[in-house]
Amino acid sequence: MEPPWEDSVGVATVYPVVHPDVALDVALVERHRCGDLQAFDEVYERFGEMVYNLALRLATNREEAADLTQEIFLRIYRHLGGFGGRSTLKTWVFRIAINHCRDRLSRHYPALQSIDDDSQEGGVSIADPGRGPEDLAVAADEGRRVAEGLSRVPPVFREAVVLRDLEGLSYEEIAEVLGVRVGTVRSRIARGREQLRILLEKGL
Amino acid sequence: MNRHLSTEQLSALLDSELGFAEMRQLEFHCAACEECASRLASMRRVVSGLGRIGRVAPPPALRQQIRRAAAAQTPPQGVRRALDSFRLLLFPLRPALHTAAVMGLALVVGLFALNHQSTNAMASSRTGQETVTITFEPGARFDTPTTSEVAGRKFILTDNGWIQKGLEWQTPVTRVDAGSPQGRALLTKYSDLDLLLRDGSPVVLRYNLVTVEIHHALPTRDLGYEQMAPRPIRRARPAGRGRVVVA
Repeated sequence: MEPPWEDSVGVATVYPVVHPDVALDVALVERHRCGDLQAFDEVYERFGEMVYNLALRLATNREEAADLTQEIFLRIYRHLGGFGGRSTLKTWVFRIAINHCRDRLSRHYPALQSIDDDSQEGGVSIADPGRGPEDLAVAADEGRRVAEGLSRVPPVFREAVVLRDLEGLSYEEIAEVLGVRVGTVRSRIARGREQLRILLEKGL
Repeated sequence: MNRHLSTEQLSALLDSELGFAEMRQLEFHCAACEECASRLASMRRVVSGLGRIGRVAPPPALRQQIRRAAAAQTPPQGVRRALDSFRLLLFPLRPALHTAAVMGLALVVGLFALNHQSTNAMASSRTGQETVTITFEPGARFDTPTTSEVAGRKFILTDNGWIQKGLEWQTPVTRVDAGSPQGRALLTKYSDLDLLLRDGSPVVLRYNLVTVEIHHALPTRDLGYEQMAPRPIRRARPAGRGRVVVA
């Protein structure tokens, strides 16, 4: 931690308002700027799975999600040196990912998309070690059903729901990623959840 | 609260993204309203179901593919460092720093340009390669200059001859004939003064820390010097008749 700034009056001690994550992010980016190839590997280590899962929920299948993830990380690689530390690296990466997915998928962003199937080849489900096999089977089945319903929610609402309920971002972070106001985020999440509820109640 | 809760309110309530007072109010409502309580439970099941969507690990080969593709994009290290330096110079981390850097750069360039200009002027005066600029008033006679510049000094034509700008109210302490050794030495140093002397007008200028008048008249003494009694010099011609032009 940097030493605090003493103000000229000497009455109060002012600490710089820098989020610890941002300080770590800036240090990581600085290493990338200096040509440390390991730095980009660390970026992938931290965000690879998140970006892949985001792409998977916005794209139609795993192959396309893998392609999108590769393109997103190449974009990140090209622009990482320009990261200014005005946000966390996490929201910066998500912003790039969302924008790229929109660019790529805008031509065929259908209202109805194919059903995602976790048993497809090319990916490994991350199991929850705290539950028994029967619970896991039920949960996996329900998860597949919800994932299928989610894939039918319009992209504009799906983005918000995925960022909130799957990636765990706060409303403020989602607003930053999507470039909209917090009120809009609240509305999109609510409408996305409501549409998903209707789909699930109708039995898809 | 008599109205049922909106979907947005229910969703925000689930995420605890409301103020404390509003949350308490909505919770009270849900406790009393069966319909809203049912909708809240339904939405909670949806959110819970979303939490059951399994995280999927990316294909193991993907990392290697990305690494290879990134390596293929890497520019040579020297070029990359130069680009980074340039980018950091023009686009630092903060917009305020960016602005400050651009202003600082402009200031440095401006100071350099000014310094370069004054150095050139000094070098020019040292070598005696003075530039003479004579301005003619509109409608005035062709051969009637009103101001002139010699070796970076401005001269104004008055009834008493050419007077260096700034010396209008000073009395020359020495009068030098242009033909005397001292006068020739002065004209050697400032050869373009001869242009001003051609019309027969004397020229008053600062030379070796004293105010000197040089003229073409014959010397009154053999040495070429004439000690002058102090006499006031009349003001320059009214403003508006002449203008100063810098070469």
